[in-house]
Amino acid sequence: MIQDKDGRGIDERLGSLLGEGSHQLVSRRQSVGEAVWSNIPSASGESATYFDRPILKAPVWEIDIPAYYYLGGAAGASMALAAAAQLEGGEEISRFVRRCHWIGIIGSSAGAVLLVHDLGRPERFVNMLRVFRPTSPMNLGAWILAGAAPLAIAAGFFTRQSGQFKRLGETAGYAAGLFGLGLAGYTGVLVGNTATPVWKEARPCLPVLFLSSAAASTASLLEIFPNGPRTSQLILIFGTAARAAELVSARWMEKRISRVQTTGEPLRKGVGGALWKTAAVLTAASLVIPLAGRKSGKLRRCAGVLGTLGAIALRLAVHFSGSASAANPRATFDLQRRG
Amino acid sequence: MAAKGFFTDTTICIGCKACEVACKQWNQLPDDGFHFTGMSYDNTAQLGASTWRHVSFIERPVALSTQDAGAFSWLFSSDVCKHCARAGCLESCPTGAIVRTEFESVYVQPDICNGCGYCVVNCPFGVIDRREDDGRAWKCTLCYDRLKDDMTPACAKACPTASIHFGEIEDLREMARARVEELHGQGMNEAYLYGESKDSQPGTEGLNAFFLLVDQPEVYNLPPDPVVPTKGVAAGWRSMAFAALGLMAVAVGSVLASRNGDAG
Repeated sequence: MIQDKDGRGIDERLGSLLGEGSHQLVSRRQSVGEAVWSNIPSASGESATYFDRPILKAPVWEIDIPAYYYLGGAAGASMALAAAAQLEGGEEISRFVRRCHWIGIIGSSAGAVLLVHDLGRPERFVNMLRVFRPTSPMNLGAWILAGAAPLAIAAGFFTRQSGQFKRLGETAGYAAGLFGLGLAGYTGVLVGNTATPVWKEARPCLPVLFLSSAAASTASLLEIFPNGPRTSQLILIFGTAARAAELVSARWMEKRISRVQTTGEPLRKGVGGALWKTAAVLTAASLVIPLAGRKSGKLRRCAGVLGTLGAIALRLAVHFSGSASAANPRATFDLQRRG
Repeated sequence: MAAKGFFTDTTICIGCKACEVACKQWNQLPDDGFHFTGMSYDNTAQLGASTWRHVSFIERPVALSTQDAGAFSWLFSSDVCKHCARAGCLESCPTGAIVRTEFESVYVQPDICNGCGYCVVNCPFGVIDRREDDGRAWKCTLCYDRLKDDMTPACAKACPTASIHFGEIEDLREMARARVEELHGQGMNEAYLYGESKDSQPGTEGLNAFFLLVDQPEVYNLPPDPVVPTKGVAAGWRSMAFAALGLMAVAVGSVLASRNGDAG
């Protein structure tokens, strides 16, 4: 270390004090605020950094993007559930399918608006469909969304008609179900395909987490509305499986990224950590409540609200923890040094 | 056309920032605020949307092995876009705005970019960034306009110590290896090349702008083992396919199981 006795930053073994101000009497070190470095930060060794400056750029995405994860997820899983329910007939199921299509239509259209709004140049949104690039999950996602939203609208519109048109609507419904799975899942692939430490390390977990959270979001939204006995039972089974899967995959992701302490930190500390814990509590509550009070419509609606909040908190937690991990250079360095 | 690029020999960089100035001047880039970082003489701090060369000022409490003046050494390094052989920004760009030029450099077409921001999180070096007021992503172009006219990029042209070499990649590699040998001969055994080949950096399959360093990469704010995210994208899709099958099975299962279910 430098033998610096009076804050001039001169090691007297290496240099001489001959400057204009070298005779100024110095009685004590002057503090110039907390931000001044008192040691040499870029020292070589176990945990060297460049003045602790971030190595990666933080994501530039605003809150629109986690909101889209939620909406696109709920819309996609609703379309998939509608396609499954379409296999059956009956008045109650038809009403249920229509409701699912509505969630699909509103979620995918509102999601598309959010995505365009978040662009730096929104008027150029159509450039997303200029190329077909399988290496880019965002490009494939744009194609999926461009297929899913019109299919949801077609399915919602034509299944109300009769004869030929109804059959057309049902075909559109099955196709929408397929595209819906893509819509609910591709965002997980997209987020995992980054250099941002938390997301990068969670690459295999994120699609599972996002799809199960999407299914839980759908169940929660459907629970808020009044349902008949058959569909209540359907939602209970679907929702219970989805919420359990969401809780399990979230623990899997947390465990995986916590193998490196600095990488796992954003899920334990700060805004991201708080949201992550909140999401777990809310989802667990929405899992237990409808099982405990399956006869009570009020309890089911309560579970629906809690589950919705939990799903939104989860998407926000992923968003904020990503930004936090990009800000810490050690999260990147430790992850790469471990392997 | 032969691949062109940079070889930045950090051992002869004197930290004059002529490259930063020449780059700003030639490319007519706006300033990004005159901040005082309070940490060193480096007030540029990082590469960004309007800073395409950045000189880092590294103060170390250890001497270089050729030094005998006490436990201190300065390292300077002019950082730049690496124009990776497998570029994360290019492969993740959803609009096709980012292209590979005839010089094997990576170029963002400003008339196509719609500012989605996906390249920003796909660069393992934290190079490319979106400028807030402009809305598009920007980075070093390897002076594409100058190369078209057979000129040297502005930074390399301005470098007074020839720390920044510009040329055909193959020639640069040869020059860099000779330089490392020369330094080793002088006793500076810590000198090594960073990212000069596919073998030394498989995650990017080699950099078209590579470096000669004398300490571990972290000290220069470079990643020790960068991997272009899109190299592993298939794992993400596989995982999604399994989860989607699971979701479909649960959906069909809950429809069937609710057939004879009790009233809710």
